[in-house]
Amino acid sequence: MCAIGPEPRAKDRVLKDGANARRRVVVTGMGAVTPIGLDATEMWASMRAGRCGVKPIENWPLDDLYIKIAGEIRDFDPAKHVKSRKIQYGDRYSWFAGRAADEAWSQSGLPTPYPEPYRAASVIGSGAGGFSTIETAYSDLFVHHKKATNPLTLLRIIGSSASAHVGIEYGIKGPTFATCSACSTATHAIGIGLDYIRNGVVDVAVTGASEAVLTYGSMRVWQAMRVLSPDGCFPFSKKRNGTVLGEGAGVLVLEEYEHAKARGATILAEIIGYGMSSDSKDMVNPDLDGPRTAMQMALDDAGIAPSQVNYLNAHGTATTLNDINETNAIKTVFGDHAHKLAVSSTKSMTGHLLGAGGAVEAVACIKAIQDGFAPPTINYTEPDPKCDLDYVPNEGRSMPIKYAMSNSFAFGGLNAVLLFGPPPA
Amino acid sequence: MDDTATKIVDILKKHMKEPRDDIGLETALADLKIESIDLAMIVFELEDTFGIEIPYNANDTDEAAAFKTVGSVVERVKDVIASSKASAKA
Repeated sequence: MCAIGPEPRAKDRVLKDGANARRRVVVTGMGAVTPIGLDATEMWASMRAGRCGVKPIENWPLDDLYIKIAGEIRDFDPAKHVKSRKIQYGDRYSWFAGRAADEAWSQSGLPTPYPEPYRAASVIGSGAGGFSTIETAYSDLFVHHKKATNPLTLLRIIGSSASAHVGIEYGIKGPTFATCSACSTATHAIGIGLDYIRNGVVDVAVTGASEAVLTYGSMRVWQAMRVLSPDGCFPFSKKRNGTVLGEGAGVLVLEEYEHAKARGATILAEIIGYGMSSDSKDMVNPDLDGPRTAMQMALDDAGIAPSQVNYLNAHGTATTLNDINETNAIKTVFGDHAHKLAVSSTKSMTGHLLGAGGAVEAVACIKAIQDGFAPPTINYTEPDPKCDLDYVPNEGRSMPIKYAMSNSFAFGGLNAVLLFGPPPA
Repeated sequence: MDDTATKIVDILKKHMKEPRDDIGLETALADLKIESIDLAMIVFELEDTFGIEIPYNANDTDEAAAFKTVGSVVERVKDVIASSKASAKA
């Protein structure tokens, strides 16, 4: 027997399945470390209840700061909350990544060390890497005039240290690196893992991001940008007056569908679409075209109609401009359906986890599909005529959710969008 | 224009792509093509020049109003200088 027809494209040849059918990618594990819960279950319970993690900063002295609130993770003890001794020696951002990855990997049921090491990837991004380590080292040098920095300073700072740590932990020897695209970091990391599995580069990918930039110096840097709210995170509400920083991590274990099925894994969800674009216009002011195109690409990639999406986890930073621009972009893509779509910003509860936001919000989307529940936008006090969608104000809502979209838009105009669906029937 | 106002106009001009010489107290910042990120830079330089702290928030419409015209910026800076002198005396 010989096949008649054109030679398969190079991309198709690497497919293990042989056929031209695209490899499907499912999620078999997820983990989260957030100001409203140190694991995905606790975080979701908080989101269901509309609990707010934005509070007065307590982890360090405020000194002369005039922005005094954040989504802090309090009482985080690496000795207690991080299993790996090696990761305990890392930066705070690696602690969060290590804990979230441990939760996700355990849930996936994949063996450690992974028996086909070159068929697995570890893509864990971070917007800033080991920020608090830099601050400690520089104050040691410039303020306290110490003779040397901590010997682990360099390894803690490197923005790829979390991905390396996670790879070491599970014996992953395939593609291992970090993404960095400010507030779209995690969504890009998950998207890259998705593409690697679809294209047959790997069968398993541990993906996500972590962020830990709540330090005095970092707060001063953000304060100088004049985009932080002094009193709370109020996405889409008329009262909104800037974003609120948060910290934490989110990790998803992605797996090729047949691979997961063959080992009898519990499948949590399928990633059905991904889109990415860049505004290529301005470092801070968002543009309509970039976000619109990224959302449309995700829909086209999934091959579903806009009207099939039930829930959208918005980027929703609570800045004046983002929330209007995102609302307009959603209307452009979804047309009449925009007003039937449940849109919420879970940043109202977690604060803005920056690079890690997209991963935590991906977890929220998967939980929303599993539970048939749209998490709320809390702190919604007064409608803004310019933001006129259904933002699931203040209380979450039980509703059938088959498809959920997650938006991430970053400084620099970097946009990434994921689309989730239920486990393949 | 007094000394403070002249200093402020100089700072504004420094952050304009095409500095103009016809800037008066009535001139609107929007007419000077000053955008939000420029304003953050301007506020930083005002703080640095006058040794003051202005808790300006780009997302707050009331505060944005205080930065509407050159004159309103001058008033805001003078207010902050006066209140910081008062608190220094106290």
